[in-house]
Amino acid sequence: MLSFVMEGIHPHDIGTVLDRQGIAVRTGHHCAQPVMDWFQVPATTRASLACYNTVGEIDALVAGIWKVKEVFS
Amino acid sequence: MVNDLYQDVILDHSKRPRNCHTMDDANRKAEGYNPLCGDKLKLFLKVDENNIVQDISFVGSGCAISTSSASLMTESLKGKHRDEALKLLDKFHDLLTTDTPVSQDLGKLVVFCGVRDYPARVKCATLAWHTLRSALTDVAVEPVSTE
Repeated sequence: MLSFVMEGIHPHDIGTVLDRQGIAVRTGHHCAQPVMDWFQVPATTRASLACYNTVGEIDALVAGIWKVKEVFS
Repeated sequence: MVNDLYQDVILDHSKRPRNCHTMDDANRKAEGYNPLCGDKLKLFLKVDENNIVQDISFVGSGCAISTSSASLMTESLKGKHRDEALKLLDKFHDLLTTDTPVSQDLGKLVVFCGVRDYPARVKCATLAWHTLRSALTDVAVEPVSTE
């Protein structure tokens, strides 16, 4: 699992832009508010990968994140 | 694509929110909280004896939709009567949650019409407005929550 934040972009905005590209991630507290407080972030975006995922899907995630940057730049 | 939701006006107001400051001489205040997102907002109003909103500002943290909604709300309400403000709130809520034709009274707020296709984001767009209702009606004593 890969939880990440992007400076200046709220995770829910990241999640919506990825969703529109067909990429499913979870955004929010992940039922772990204390660790959000610890890292001083409002929420994170989380990609959950498993053996079923392909390299192509990881490439799509990376391209999707670049798209997020483009939208909110 | 995503431009139907994140229209230029929304992106502009999220990056450069208008009326985003505290107000020492406010005579009405309210706090809003969206526990699922962690979005927090404090609203300040100066309402005169004729119930006209003379000034309004906010501070807080949230996503692009919630910040731009608060910013555009403050722009829309200056000079409006309290009752007009509450009517606008209902129209804005209809814009987000129903398929009714877009009301012309909403002005710039129509940019949020894309939110109706994203039910999970309705709470982001309405946080500032729920907080406004609390500030204008004095019903809530606790911070207003979207949950």
